[in-house]
Amino acid sequence: MTNEQSIDYPTKRLTDQMTRMTIPIGPQHPALKEPISFLLTVEGERIVESVLRLGYVHRGIERICQNRNYVQNVHVVERICGICSHIHTTTYCQGIEALTGLEVPLRALYLRTLLCELERIHSHLLWLGVLAEDIGFTTIFMYAWRDREIVLDIMEELSGGRVAHAVNVIGGVRIDVDQEQVHSILARLDELERQIETLLGVIQHERTFQVRTRGVGHLSAEQVRRYCVVGPTARASGVDVDLRRDAPYAAYDRLDFQVMTADEGDVWARTLVRVQETIESLHMCRQLLTGLPQGVLTVRAPRRVPPGEVVSRGEAPRGELVYYVRSDGSDRPARVKIRTPTLTTLITLPDQLRGVHTADVPAVLAGVDLCIACADR
Amino acid sequence: MFMEVILQALRETFPAETIEAQPVPISETFVALSPDCIHRAAQVLVERFDLRHLSTITGQDTGSEIELLYHFWDGGGLTLRTSLPREEPHIATLTDLIPGAAFYEREVSEMLGVTFDGHPDPRPLLLPNDWDKEQLPMKNDQ
Repeated sequence: MTNEQSIDYPTKRLTDQMTRMTIPIGPQHPALKEPISFLLTVEGERIVESVLRLGYVHRGIERICQNRNYVQNVHVVERICGICSHIHTTTYCQGIEALTGLEVPLRALYLRTLLCELERIHSHLLWLGVLAEDIGFTTIFMYAWRDREIVLDIMEELSGGRVAHAVNVIGGVRIDVDQEQVHSILARLDELERQIETLLGVIQHERTFQVRTRGVGHLSAEQVRRYCVVGPTARASGVDVDLRRDAPYAAYDRLDFQVMTADEGDVWARTLVRVQETIESLHMCRQLLTGLPQGVLTVRAPRRVPPGEVVSRGEAPRGELVYYVRSDGSDRPARVKIRTPTLTTLITLPDQLRGVHTADVPAVLAGVDLCIACADR
Repeated sequence: MFMEVILQALRETFPAETIEAQPVPISETFVALSPDCIHRAAQVLVERFDLRHLSTITGQDTGSEIELLYHFWDGGGLTLRTSLPREEPHIATLTDLIPGAAFYEREVSEMLGVTFDGHPDPRPLLLPNDWDKEQLPMKNDQ
């Protein structure tokens, strides 16, 4: 933005003198991937105020969960999101397992974690493509989505599904890998890492990318903490939070990994954090595949869950995912509360949009990695 | 250890309340408080312990009352539990201390009919604008 301000464009002078007007964006709009509505008040080219409205994909999942039994709910919560479906079932299942006192076999925990990390790679690459397309950098979009196919193929091979994997069951996992698959996956992960390193190079050195993302959608560490923001968006503003390290679940306590942070707090920093995280996730997948312990995949889970409450947390690709489940002793939960990470980032959007150019709106919206289906539930 | 210090501070702030820690899996501590104490308790957490991350607010209808759970997180979970009457439930907003609570409160408000006194923007968040305000989706008898 500093570059722009130093240049005196005649059109800029004209638009600066224009009066205020309000532009609706959404719920259906070419720049939006999912339905959400924004009312942007602009003064010339600058946004002065924005109001957002959710609920266009609200399906009442929390209520639906109360009317299904615990086993059916694994498949209900998987359908909250089409990108991070596996972390939903992981967080839900580990909650029920803690409530029932089930000891999940180590091999199952490893496979669960493997899918979590593959999902993170796929989610981050999908996001990188969306951002690149929104800022007009179609080449990165094409490459990122092409490379994402490698992960999707691996997940499909492992589970049979590209998006909904149905890997988790209460008490373990339903999939297994053999030695031949491990070798084949490791080889493909090496290939993927080379390609992501190339993408990282482009992001770090390509001027077009920097001009469109640096200083855009800025969030300070203080704003992140005020709004309880989580995940890569918080980490890109220098707030070092990651549940995989802070409260290890599944097999994360057995892995050696770094939590990526940056200080700039803009879309550029978010890109850097996410792409570096993707590479870190690849390393974690390798550790999981080479260190995969032998053993059974599930323990038998009772249909009824003893009365009690549980708060289960997991690090979704977008940050902290929280499940609260209350059992009254029957085979159906009395309450399932789900808080998805996107809900916390949405609340920061009016702050992020204030003062930006209308042309940068797609970059700001894409920058925080919105998942509206998650936020609405 | 950290949790003990917080509990001690809460006990000092509310001498009239019986503050007991109830451990809840996976790494959560539940503390029950009366509705009037919630705002002051949150203030203690925010100002004295810099515990500002409110993960979410769970609202639930237990049949006899509306229960609110404020899930805080800082390396471990601390949940403040409070109960409101089923008829015209209301409680002070936390948005002045934790602006991030705004969406959580709006959701609880539209789903269970809880009024958050002092909320800057109490419009519905998820339900349509023309939704019948009497219809509360998460209330058990509806």
